Amino acid sequence: MSDKIGIYVCECGPNISSKVDIDRILEELAALEDFKDKELVVKRHKLLCSVAGKAYLEEEIKANELTHLVCAACSPRDHDSTFKEVCKKAGLNPYMYKLVNIREQCAWVISDKEKATDKAIQYIHAGMDRVLYQEPLLEKQLDSNPDVLVIGGGIAGIESALTLAGKNRLVFLVEKSAELGGKSVHFQKLLPRQGINADTINRKIKEVNKNPYIKVFTTTELNKIIGFLGNFEIVLKNNKDNSETELLAGAVVLATGYQNANPQDFKGYKYSKEDDVYTALEIEKMYKETSQISLKSGKAPQQVALVHCVGRKEVGYCSKICCNYLIKISDYLKGISSEIEIIDLYQDMCLPEKEDQEYYEKIAAKGIQSQRITAVKVAGNQLTYTGINGSETTIEPDMIILAPALVPAADNAYFAELLNIELHETGFFQEAHIKINPVSTNTDGVFVVGANRGACGISDAIIQAQAAAGKVLTQLIPGQKIIPEVMVSEILEAYCTGCKNCLDVCVFGAIYFDEERGISVVNEAICRGCGNCVGSCPSGSIRTRHFTNPQIYQEVKEALRKC
Amino acid sequence: MNPSNTVLVIGSGIAGMEASLMLSKAGKKVYLVERLPLIGGNVIKTGESFPNMECSTCLVAPIQQEILQDGNIEVLTVSNITKIDGEAGDFEISIRKRARYVNISACLGCGMCYPVCPVTQPNNWEQNLVEKKAIYVECAGSLPNVPVIDPALCLRLNGSEECNLCMEACMFGAIDFSEKEEILEINAGAIIVAVGFDTIDAREIDNLGYGKYPGVFTAYELERLLASNGPTEGKLRMRDGETKPGKVAIIHCAGREKVGYCSNVCCSYSARHAHFMKEKLPEVEIFDIYSDLCLPDKHYQKLNNNIRKATSKYIYQSDPAKMRIEESDGKLTIHYLNEQEAAVSLEVDMLILTVAIKPAASIEELADLLAIEIDKYGFIKTPATEIGSVRTSRAGIYVSGCAEGPKDIPSSVLQAEAAVAQVMRLLEI
Repeated sequence: MSDKIGIYVCECGPNISSKVDIDRILEELAALEDFKDKELVVKRHKLLCSVAGKAYLEEEIKANELTHLVCAACSPRDHDSTFKEVCKKAGLNPYMYKLVNIREQCAWVISDKEKATDKAIQYIHAGMDRVLYQEPLLEKQLDSNPDVLVIGGGIAGIESALTLAGKNRLVFLVEKSAELGGKSVHFQKLLPRQGINADTINRKIKEVNKNPYIKVFTTTELNKIIGFLGNFEIVLKNNKDNSETELLAGAVVLATGYQNANPQDFKGYKYSKEDDVYTALEIEKMYKETSQISLKSGKAPQQVALVHCVGRKEVGYCSKICCNYLIKISDYLKGISSEIEIIDLYQDMCLPEKEDQEYYEKIAAKGIQSQRITAVKVAGNQLTYTGINGSETTIEPDMIILAPALVPAADNAYFAELLNIELHETGFFQEAHIKINPVSTNTDGVFVVGANRGACGISDAIIQAQAAAGKVLTQLIPGQKIIPEVMVSEILEAYCTGCKNCLDVCVFGAIYFDEERGISVVNEAICRGCGNCVGSCPSGSIRTRHFTNPQIYQEVKEALRKC
Repeated sequence: MNPSNTVLVIGSGIAGMEASLMLSKAGKKVYLVERLPLIGGNVIKTGESFPNMECSTCLVAPIQQEILQDGNIEVLTVSNITKIDGEAGDFEISIRKRARYVNISACLGCGMCYPVCPVTQPNNWEQNLVEKKAIYVECAGSLPNVPVIDPALCLRLNGSEECNLCMEACMFGAIDFSEKEEILEINAGAIIVAVGFDTIDAREIDNLGYGKYPGVFTAYELERLLASNGPTEGKLRMRDGETKPGKVAIIHCAGREKVGYCSNVCCSYSARHAHFMKEKLPEVEIFDIYSDLCLPDKHYQKLNNNIRKATSKYIYQSDPAKMRIEESDGKLTIHYLNEQEAAVSLEVDMLILTVAIKPAASIEELADLLAIEIDKYGFIKTPATEIGSVRTSRAGIYVSGCAEGPKDIPSSVLQAEAAVAQVMRLLEI
């Protein structure tokens, strides 16, 4: 079948027709010297995107048996998908069509009608040159596995597992320690907005254990994983008996948690085990286990200093939850004895949730001396703080409770490497987009939830866990195939020298090296067609479909001919 | 219509859009109901978003376009819910679709109709900084890019004159004065409430001079002054539209005491505001007057540190209740207590109030209609016995975004995604 190119110029009502001379466009395009031996159909329509316009276009493609289609109309952002759909309906491969924007790029920006018309002709001509080099692309369908691997048995991992597991979807919940629950099981009480009792967490653990669709692996770690959204091959390793388990899953939810910084790593915090200086988590554990908060001597404290923002300056971010939990600890102390004197040394009171302020005011009313400070030094039980007026005060409370910064868990880097996801400069995981895609990562099918992507409280961790579940539930529907991107890179085996440059620049981990053949190979299910690898290839052996060098060259050559 | 395959989303801000797109991709039919003529919610009012100073339009317009082009999503603008019956899994819902008087499928958004309209009214979407006509789009780049006619003000529709001007100006025959309000009856298995937020009326904050002195602005007015599609096309100007401010003070926590909570986003967006004021007017001097900084995210402190270094001078005030504003000869004097609790003052040309976020005005009526509870602040209530929940007091109805409480964009998106998880599980066959 010989090439037959259809060129349809949209008037867009007066938007295009009043600003460019469409008759001249049709005339000049029909007479193009370099298309002399091609069959052209050059026509105009008053509104191609209208119902009538789409029906007209579909009929034209069929009646003229077009092999290529160029629409000269508006921005691809407005109607690229509209015309692609028309192509599909008319039986023309949608990758054999090109939309040229003569509205935003010509009609609306050039007041001189002649010049606007010249530019429109040039652009459409460029589009015609490009479309001739375009190739039909076919969508593929891949089977997908709806099951999910959840790594981390803390509150976020538990919530993800509970939200996901069902009769059509198994969840493999992997925890490296011997017990589920993470850090929150050590808390005696939760904040008011986090429910009325700490059993909430135990109840959820029980739910996990009795859910037939959740398989729990404790003292187990992720050893190997390869694959992509819908098809991950996983090897787990049990650290007790060194046994390995192989699994298949369609998605991975990382809920690996955080760690508390050691205050002694920060400047100004010098104390030993003998001193009555504690981290907030140590106090939580003590209170949970003994229902008391007592000194090393076994006596109840008379005067307690609470220190906020320990290490905040060094880590470079606010840990979000400390102000709130120190208020909760004040409440514990006042509950033990209203006589205990509490000195609360804060820098900024961060109370970001709607109920926080009221809670703060309620506890503060029980008698807390709040002191706004700019710096603090701890030496044993001696504490020196600088007030906002610059004056230094030294006190010697019998107990000091520190709120150290929440920092990334040590294994974040391991997981980042294993799953090819990025780390933020703080060492927490980096979101796919910090504003609009917060639990996704740059690897499709891998999600990050809870405090491994930044300090957060229990309610936030749970919402994030459900959010990742929402992503999985809408992306991996049992029995439904997944359709990967078709505009992806391919490597021409004959030209590949095996230099591996492309492996370094691929941010999606879509390229692997075939040692046997000594060449790089693109996994088309992972590739998103960004084209990084194309630019990095010294032998020119990589091309991105629909953005090949000849296609781009032909278009640019014509667009720039008169420049 | 299969209710187990249909979801109603109320509100088309960032949370409502995210939920709609996810559900549509999973094959659900979505009715996205929006009371305004345009979709996008509050996020499209911002020129740029923190902390990366990305252009908000570039971030959100593709999402809006995707919504409008999605065959599974029926976008109902100028619409509201009027009745709901049934229960989780099968709600019967009545939706009132008011007349737009402009045919959405015929209109191209060329903008020829509104310049000829003889009637003007304040543009409340633009924080009343400019006027709009009786036929209008709220701002350049409104999506859908189709005007709407205000029937109370349109001379023809309110019966005062046989005015035909917009109809004559339209070359597509898109103006349709005969359009009638419709009542749509739908069945849906689940409902997501994502109606966003409003801010308190700054005039209610007695000591900060808003409404009394023209040099006092709200941060939401500033937002539109800094936006390239706003009334000044992104130029920082006083109310006359010409004078450049020399000194600007941002007052944090304006109205916090009144609402009783921290609005969560003001400290962060103020850093962005300072950044863009300085970028647009390099000679401007900026002060941030605050009591507590709330920067609860790994990204925000760094932004704040950078702004403090070169862009704005941060001043601590020890008692916000003691702040007073005076004006003489167009200059504003801020009297406040410093860190020594001594009375000091600062003279500026422009004052920006980071006014507190409050529940959306429509929320009470909507909650009544849906028979879901609101909390003491007026936001939609989630069960006290559940941690981190997007459930409301009625099964099958979920909440996300600022309808649940003040929060930033990522937190709104997270709740939307969490609500989608609940809906997907509820409607599993």
